[in-house]
Amino acid sequence: MPGSFLKKLLGPSVALCCVALLSLLLAGCTESPAPEVDIFPYAHQVDDLPNGLRLVTVTTGYPNIVALYTVVQVGSRNEIEPGRSGFAHLFEHLMFRGTEKFPAEKWGEIMQAAGASTNAYTSDDRTVYHALFSKEDLEPILELEADRFQNVKYSEDDFKTETRAVLGEYNKNFASPMRKLDEVMRNAAFSAHTYKHTTMGFAEDVENMPQMYDYGLKFFDRYYRPEYTIIAIVGDVTPEDTRPLVEKYWGSWQRGDYTPEMPVEPAQSEAKELDVPFHAPTLPILSVSFHAAAYDDEVVDSAALDVISFHAFSENSELYKRLVIEEQKVDTLSPAYYDHRDPFLFSVVARIKEEQDVDYVREQILATCEALGKDLIPVDKLEAVKSHLRYQFALGMNSSGAIAGTLAHYLGLRNSPDTINKRYALYRGVTAEDVRTVAARTFTETGRTIVKLKFDSAGAETGAAGGAK
Amino acid sequence: MRRALAGFVLLAAGLLSFGASAVLRAEPAVLEVENESPLVTFRILFHTGAASDPAGKQGLAALTAAMLSKGGSKEMSYDEIVEAFFPMASAVSAQVDKEMTVFEGTTHVENLDRYYGIVRGMLLDPGWREDDFTRLKDEAVNFLRIGLRGNNEEELGKEFLYTRIYQDHPYGWHNSGTVASLERLTIDDLKAFYQERYTAGNVVVGLAGGYPEGFAKQLAADFSKLPKSESGAQPEAVALPTPRAPEKLNIKIIEKDTRGTHVALGFAIHVNRSSPDWPALKLVQSYLGQHRSSKGRLFQRIREVRGMNYGDYAYIEYFPRGMFQFQPDPNLGRRQQIFHMWIRPVEPRNGVFALRIALYELDKLVREGISEEAFESTRLFLSKYVNLVTQTQSEQLGYALDSEYYGISDFNGFLKDALAKLTVEQVNQAIRKHLRSSDLDIVVITKDAEGFKKGLSSRRPSKIEYVSPKPKDILDEDKLIGKYKLDVGSVEIVPAATIFE
Repeated sequence: MPGSFLKKLLGPSVALCCVALLSLLLAGCTESPAPEVDIFPYAHQVDDLPNGLRLVTVTTGYPNIVALYTVVQVGSRNEIEPGRSGFAHLFEHLMFRGTEKFPAEKWGEIMQAAGASTNAYTSDDRTVYHALFSKEDLEPILELEADRFQNVKYSEDDFKTETRAVLGEYNKNFASPMRKLDEVMRNAAFSAHTYKHTTMGFAEDVENMPQMYDYGLKFFDRYYRPEYTIIAIVGDVTPEDTRPLVEKYWGSWQRGDYTPEMPVEPAQSEAKELDVPFHAPTLPILSVSFHAAAYDDEVVDSAALDVISFHAFSENSELYKRLVIEEQKVDTLSPAYYDHRDPFLFSVVARIKEEQDVDYVREQILATCEALGKDLIPVDKLEAVKSHLRYQFALGMNSSGAIAGTLAHYLGLRNSPDTINKRYALYRGVTAEDVRTVAARTFTETGRTIVKLKFDSAGAETGAAGGAK
Repeated sequence: MRRALAGFVLLAAGLLSFGASAVLRAEPAVLEVENESPLVTFRILFHTGAASDPAGKQGLAALTAAMLSKGGSKEMSYDEIVEAFFPMASAVSAQVDKEMTVFEGTTHVENLDRYYGIVRGMLLDPGWREDDFTRLKDEAVNFLRIGLRGNNEEELGKEFLYTRIYQDHPYGWHNSGTVASLERLTIDDLKAFYQERYTAGNVVVGLAGGYPEGFAKQLAADFSKLPKSESGAQPEAVALPTPRAPEKLNIKIIEKDTRGTHVALGFAIHVNRSSPDWPALKLVQSYLGQHRSSKGRLFQRIREVRGMNYGDYAYIEYFPRGMFQFQPDPNLGRRQQIFHMWIRPVEPRNGVFALRIALYELDKLVREGISEEAFESTRLFLSKYVNLVTQTQSEQLGYALDSEYYGISDFNGFLKDALAKLTVEQVNQAIRKHLRSSDLDIVVITKDAEGFKKGLSSRRPSKIEYVSPKPKDILDEDKLIGKYKLDVGSVEIVPAATIFE
């Protein structure tokens, strides 16, 4: 695919990114050593406004479409006060309630006229507002978004109405045993850190949300500030398009002065093991979790744990082949190790066909963890994981929306897109010794929490079910 | 989108047409969306699906597709395939609906030969191993019993609704079958289905991306080795009767230990993308309940104003897995389609009111139509929004295959042109012609089924309880909604454990 041909068809930026992607991966075939090439191939620029707001502009080469991702570095992690769990997520909902200048209805009309797809999500570490639209609508949408981030306004009645939509969201999730497992696992594994609760929050806090109107004002005042926010504009745009508009509409946003005091999780001192009843029919589900390193782009631990998750517990692992394909005792087996700002958990989750096999599967997972801390993994297996990580990343970059979604994930962890390249450079450097050392450090008995969930018709959850009142 | 070459290239021995007037062909058709991307996407589409399941063997089409996509080939066992795909971060997934079965996968062009070599073996020389069969049958049973019935009430309600709408019709069972029908299936059934339905004349090989010259021709030649049916042509399409027309409101209440009350309702419509009224109904659907958007009328009145639940949407096509995604998957083409509404779980005390407000809004739409202003704003929205549904080359390819199926032009262009010509009168005519607020099926999932049933027949108006004061116009409307007449034809309580069993 000659570069000149590409340039003619697609313009210089696309040609560059295609060639970059190609050369990176060509040299990254499993047999040959990985080259020192950046994995994130798109031209990008970081601009910092005087008020602390950061703008990241990425030119992708995909025509017409622009993705605007506004990343606020506040999530359920920030819910440090008792009784306030779930509030970051509630606030995400409230941000759609409008302002004096653009009431919710007007906001909707403008977004509708732009044919935009808009939504938002909240996680442990961040709240992300996203809109996807045609490039000609960039200015009206930036104006609209700048206004609500600075001036969102809702009545106490609107606030209360929105808390019921959040309860509806909690209720829709209720049928999933994974929701229950996540709640129990976090609650057991953490004692001080706010990762103890899920992003949805404790059921009793969700029930009590209608009473928290005043806290909503405080929350907005603390966190919806430029120094907590990064705007990513990704797609058929250049920094020359974006920067003047962001300065115009977001430049007067006032910096805040709040810094949360994050509780530090003390080291777990003994192994924990819990049996959990679930109200609806399900196969038994087992999760084996260990306290594990936070996301990092310089220290190798979290990158090595990602390698472990693929090597030892993915569909390609020996354990999967044994339990799922050969013995057929387990119907799903997967690792769960998600990037977090603070140390979170490395989990292995298995759904087991017969209850009598739960202990066997438990032993198999623990034995696998133990072996990882003792034996070096074969070099060809390590290289296969590295190849998988590279191609997985490249295959995911298939639209401006997808690129922006990936970028937002990393901007929630670190402030800069450069963390992506640094992280993938770390992956390239992971050695079999690193894997062994990190496994031995992570998979300890005292850092372990095991949860066994099974169907029990008497396992109905108490807590404040909406309709029970 | 990097789509450098205009249009699609069709390489087919016969003509390509799958709609109501299929033209016989004996060789694979190839549909290409060429561009300069370093990624290559396959969508290999067979015109067969659950509607072709023989009586008593429901789930056969789905299990056959699972054996191809998650089982071994003659040459490689499944774990060898997984291991070979792993460094490429690629795989093959299967999606089975009533009349389409599609195998989708994307790989980097550097891995194309190796990847395609494996895919070819999986689809053209399946291994039919007994241990794969046992594993995948277990998986299908667990999906129905646990994944759907046990742990996903929203999808359960919708899928059960579809089987109600299509009673005594080839669309009348879940694509995965039932637990009992799955237990009856044998490997020989799967092989026979493959021989009969996975024929060279019944496949369209869809290809997108920056693959090398000659690659599409190679695929066409490879897939011409698929079984040939005796007539040398496509297998006969399953005859589709007119779906039954229910009388009044036919309500099934699924009794299940659940925290919310779920409502889904709908009916068969005689409109698909090839119908003249489809663009008009598409606009109505977007106005009433654009999927996962706050702009729809249902969302505004039920969630935004009243805070009753998380969301409320409307559809004019089958749309599975809506709780997991913002856009529908392509390649769910059907000759017959459905209008349906999805009311996400409400607090049980507001359950009957939720059903009433859904019907009240539908009734209002049917009686009053939509205003000129709403028409214009929805038209503007859809004309731009359509660009967002075909962002990736996999979506572009999927929509292109669907457009061929329905006999329409490139989807984006087709919809934009049709919208530009549309008038509000045409839209309101289409509403009156195709939509109704009575004579339909309703599925409710709730813990207290008896209580819900009593609420339906109660002479007292349904009430809604709020946590905050509401303006007078809303409270006045609530009174009207609370009294909205439910012309109930039948109500039946169904224990959850019997569904899809």
